[in-house]
Amino acid sequence: MSEYYGTTVEDIFKTQNKRFRAEGSEGVDAVFAYDVQGEGGGRWKLTIKDGACATEKLDSDDFGEYSVKITVDAETFVGVTIGKIDGTEAFTAGKLKVDGQIPLMMELPKLFTKYAPPGKEVTAADILATSESRFQPENAEGLDITVGYNLAGDGGGQWTAVIKDGTCKLEEGLRDNLTVCNIVKAKDFVDLMLGKLDPIVAFGAGRLRLVGDMEIAQRLPKIFSKFKSNASEPVEELIMLKKIISVDMKYSTGPTMGKFLNGLKEKKILANVCPKCGRKQLPPRECCAVCRCDVDEFVEVGPEGIVTYCDIIYYASPDPLTGETRETPYGALFVLLDGCKDREALWHLLKKEDLVDVKRGDRVRPVWVENPTGSVYDIIYFEKVR
Amino acid sequence: MNKKHKKNRNVAIIGVGQTVYSSHREDVNQPEMIHEAVSLALKDAGLTMDDIDCVVHGNMELFEMVHQPDMWHTIGDGAYGKSAFRLTTGGTTGATLVSAADNLVASGMYDVVMAVGFEKLQEGHTTGGITNMADPLWTRHLQTGALTGATASYMIQEFGEERAKRAAMKHRIDMDKHAVLNPNSHRSFGLDYDQMDDLIKNSPQLAGELRLIHMCSQSDGACVVIMASEEKAKKLSNKPVWIRDHITIHREENFSTMFTYDMDERDPTTHRVAAERLFERNGIKDPVEYFNVFEMYDPSSWWGLDWLRDFFLLEGDEVLTMVESDDFKIGGKIPVNPSGGVTSANPIGATAMIRVAEAALQVRGDAGGHQVPGEVNHALASGFGGTYWTVLFMLEKNLDWQKGEQ
Repeated sequence: MSEYYGTTVEDIFKTQNKRFRAEGSEGVDAVFAYDVQGEGGGRWKLTIKDGACATEKLDSDDFGEYSVKITVDAETFVGVTIGKIDGTEAFTAGKLKVDGQIPLMMELPKLFTKYAPPGKEVTAADILATSESRFQPENAEGLDITVGYNLAGDGGGQWTAVIKDGTCKLEEGLRDNLTVCNIVKAKDFVDLMLGKLDPIVAFGAGRLRLVGDMEIAQRLPKIFSKFKSNASEPVEELIMLKKIISVDMKYSTGPTMGKFLNGLKEKKILANVCPKCGRKQLPPRECCAVCRCDVDEFVEVGPEGIVTYCDIIYYASPDPLTGETRETPYGALFVLLDGCKDREALWHLLKKEDLVDVKRGDRVRPVWVENPTGSVYDIIYFEKVR
Repeated sequence: MNKKHKKNRNVAIIGVGQTVYSSHREDVNQPEMIHEAVSLALKDAGLTMDDIDCVVHGNMELFEMVHQPDMWHTIGDGAYGKSAFRLTTGGTTGATLVSAADNLVASGMYDVVMAVGFEKLQEGHTTGGITNMADPLWTRHLQTGALTGATASYMIQEFGEERAKRAAMKHRIDMDKHAVLNPNSHRSFGLDYDQMDDLIKNSPQLAGELRLIHMCSQSDGACVVIMASEEKAKKLSNKPVWIRDHITIHREENFSTMFTYDMDERDPTTHRVAAERLFERNGIKDPVEYFNVFEMYDPSSWWGLDWLRDFFLLEGDEVLTMVESDDFKIGGKIPVNPSGGVTSANPIGATAMIRVAEAALQVRGDAGGHQVPGEVNHALASGFGGTYWTVLFMLEKNLDWQKGEQ
């Protein structure tokens, strides 16, 4: 099985059921199909239903029915899972493809806890191998010494650090006539170096024995800087504060927009007409910005019109008035109402069923709510006149 | 309309600082992140905060839901105890900050001014912030953030589906190839031209033919530019980059008119109006010939491709031919966004300033791995935002353009 970043695809799916969070799965009834391609890949199917998750490895590429299918190469899959590769970027670059109900992908962090690769235990040899890089020559000026490590038990062994002329070299084996020698079990040595075992306690209890020049022994913590392990040293948490702001707002509409919104109450669409350049403004604007003059005359336009352009939006942006995520795709429509020309188009929404065949020049009409109240919501959407 | 535009005194960029751009800077808070760019700019200019007379600070309003963040950032941007201003003009903020700082120095009010643009988009809700910019009476209900497929649709209508889609994707990949050379890039995918057909077909759609791969990122980062008067710049800097001129154009009355294009005719955009006026008053006849590099605010590849014809005053399908012939690549006829542009990094309040900063580095010859070959004497940089607002800058290596003027 091919490893990527020290992890295999199989490792990740093996822990899938264990990482499942029933509390995050309320109302989720979905099948996630994973087609992990390339060396070390395979096909897996996660079925989430009634607060349980079943993980199944498939022998063929017949996934049967699924809600969403993720196609990705093994290296990217592992990279994204363990946080070495940014998932959004892999998706954007086309390395990770999602087919079907894409919004389900947003549920994944709620459905599963993050995969954490099993930590590799630090060994005494790992720690001693960093001796040369942890050596602090400024604290070893004029020293010509040998420091022995006689470590017993599992993971043990014998090493000598030779310090001379401001340099440090680590050798295997114990030299004769050591300046000072540490005699300790390998496991205790690791705990001492990781700060899990207090040296005074270890010394007092006889678990750590120091033989030779005690003055030098006391200087050792200065001669070598502290060992830092990425795996085991807890990094101080950088606290992230989470806030949700929700405030009530109210906006004055003023006489111009007020007249327009009052018109909607009677299911009439009113534009105002510039007395100088003659253009219609829809929704009406408080003055003509080009002619810099008041615009007091209102005319009724529409209600039918023709489509100048329809933007089909696939990205589920929230409706800023309600905070609800809009259902996608939806159509942002520009319609030139009867009586308008050039750039006098009105911006509104298109009926969902008409998205399939909407095109420029199509004739559309507004669909009104039963009891208009003078708001943008009085028109539900425009629909094609068929 | 094109009034005489003469500076009271010359102004040069004497220092530039940029953080690395990234999708997440959880390791630092806002003032700490800004401070990184401030320190780098001071080091670049060989100055300390004692040399700075005034700080101009800005970002997008409400993207991080912090009101007047300049108050919180005083110790991060070094404004403590100094004259300070805050500006915010949407996507153009970074360019407006440089314009304002340039004006403050040119007026004689201050000798050395530092402009600071930043954004930490992961901390807030960009779409929530951006939809709040439309009027709450009507358009806010319909607004879709900065996403529209209209440009793609019109270009496809004008040039045919295959050619337009391939040109936009070629441009996207060109920009990614530049981004790979810039260590500050937030996104450099390592895209290649053999992925073109796959991406055209399979990259997820956002709005019409605007696909995910075409769109800019949401980034964290800060950019700082230090400007000084001619007298100071000559004393303080070996490589001053002169701000020859800049222009800001607004033409939409509000959001409701932004995409109501005429069905058959393409209206002159703010970009074309800005370019025509700026070049006319500076006697630039052929911008492609005159400029050696252009750092453009390209929020998406479709907009980038479409707008290049406005900024370079191109006609017909010239822009497609140019992208097809590698003219906009590093080493091409007129390199565009050697930094990788906005599709590679977009900390919005800093984004437009990064354009000016990168253009200045190109003029200095200090852009490193993405330095364009040959002498860069004349650079162009643009900002974009709001309801099609455009800011356009001309930078010069030598103080010699005034010889021909009265």
